[in-house]
Amino acid sequence: MAKSPKKSKSRLWFLVHSWLALPIWFFVLIVCFTGMLAVVSQEIVWLADPAVRANKPDADAERLSFQQVLDALHKAEPDMVVERLNQPDGSHFAVKANVTLPDGTSPTLYVNPYTGAIQGKTPDFNFEAFTRALHGWWLVPFTNGFSWGWYLVSLLGLPMLASLVTGLVVYKKFWKGFFKPLRTGHGSRIFWGDLHRLAGVWSIWFIAVISITGTWFLIQAILADNHITISSRPIVPVIAREDVPQTPNGSPAARIDLDEAARIAGLAVPGLEINFISLPATAYSHITLAGPGWYPLMFQSASVNPYTRNVDSQFLISDRSALEFVTESMRPLHTGDFGGLPIKLVWFFFGLVLTLMVFSGLLIWTKRTAQATAAALKRSERAPRMTRNETPVEIRP
Amino acid sequence: MSQVQAVPASPLKQRWLKWRFHLNILLILIPLGFMPKYFADARLFRGEAGLGANVINDIQVGPYTLDLAEMRDEPPRADGPAGHFKVFNASLCKACVNGVKAAYLRIGKPRSLRAAGTIFFGAPYNMGTSLPIPPRTKPDAQVWITLEGWDGSMHQASVPLAKASPATVAWLEKQGGKK
Repeated sequence: MAKSPKKSKSRLWFLVHSWLALPIWFFVLIVCFTGMLAVVSQEIVWLADPAVRANKPDADAERLSFQQVLDALHKAEPDMVVERLNQPDGSHFAVKANVTLPDGTSPTLYVNPYTGAIQGKTPDFNFEAFTRALHGWWLVPFTNGFSWGWYLVSLLGLPMLASLVTGLVVYKKFWKGFFKPLRTGHGSRIFWGDLHRLAGVWSIWFIAVISITGTWFLIQAILADNHITISSRPIVPVIAREDVPQTPNGSPAARIDLDEAARIAGLAVPGLEINFISLPATAYSHITLAGPGWYPLMFQSASVNPYTRNVDSQFLISDRSALEFVTESMRPLHTGDFGGLPIKLVWFFFGLVLTLMVFSGLLIWTKRTAQATAAALKRSERAPRMTRNETPVEIRP
Repeated sequence: MSQVQAVPASPLKQRWLKWRFHLNILLILIPLGFMPKYFADARLFRGEAGLGANVINDIQVGPYTLDLAEMRDEPPRADGPAGHFKVFNASLCKACVNGVKAAYLRIGKPRSLRAAGTIFFGAPYNMGTSLPIPPRTKPDAQVWITLEGWDGSMHQASVPLAKASPATVAWLEKQGGKK
């Protein structure tokens, strides 16, 4: 099929491909597996914990507004301070309320969006947060800038991209491989090889997306740790001292309610779909309302002055620079949380396929590459150069 | 890796060939080792581990009282060109939650309310602020708390930095005012 110099080159690519993830295959496997879980972690919690569900008390019940939810919370716990309200993407999820209790603890409460009832709180073992922390930064704490675990995981984007490229180079006419049946009667090596290639060609787009966005996380950390910013997001100034009323009797000044703030924000930002409200964190802070707009991968926000009713600051999709359109799309493209459950299930499925590819790659390696490498070493006096070509990818602390 | 090309059978290469797959074990040990720290931090952020370290209870500030603590018993953290910061938490007495409009923290006595320092964010039961620590701060400096009432009143109190954050004072002494 191929001429011999070409053949030896493709053999070299093949070795590079075979060795890319190998010395750290278990790490790669766990990162893929936890990433797959993280995509649907919210849904897993929804299945496991009835408190997270937004059950209708009866068929014609209407959803409460954010202010109605807040009122219900204040009625249930008059001393509680509510800091944030968030309607997760999907009407089957309960509203999440970040609150602080008089004893100083800050749980996240699940609130029924139809009745306002407090259904429960985030358990001490927060599955969503844990899988994301394990997948995202290998649980290494952030002490000074980005955690080194973040670098460790996001560095994997590079060998993953290299596996994709070298895999396509060594798989001759890969575009013909989409409907190749798996050979089952020829032993396990043939079977796993067929499966690896079939999964590989169908996952080209997904591996490209995950490895490129993963590499972006690496770049993001490098930029942040070097205090370089590309953001055009406005810094919301605190409310001027003159704008915050003084009260002769010493009780807190009146602020507009959340529904009024939502109405004002909706007037200023047409099409703003609010699913996130953060209440003023100080007497000089705004009510910030945020939610998706026409471009599902980015959020818009408006900060409403609760005393003067002015929209003091807003950040719309149209305010983003061209570069930000690319960089801000990276995170949702990686996590698959921009199109509801269908997209999440697609990401989950290909995450599973990717995990299987790491696993089948290892199986193939143990059955074949070990012998191939031994043979390559034996065959030629230039063997040291061969081995050198495979080692650079293994430089990893 | 440069040793690899010299002699194929160099001891370093042999060790690499023999031990490379043990990298997996090392990498798996990392999250296992950090797991207790992860759960302790999660508790701390939920406020279940108390206000923080070196808590000073019932500091009288005018008619109000307040508890002050550093988030962690450790020296200030660097934040690039912005300098070094130290996170403090505070909790207002339950009866004074409604009267206090804002709470501020500053090293050295503020000259006016406009220069009262960094403002505390969050619920009065457990609020936090990131206090800049100038490297030239004297180890015997005082941390000043300013409370502003909704009626326009202002109340102040101070505690020694050495009591609020011994680790910060140790860090300042080590710096020796060299910056």
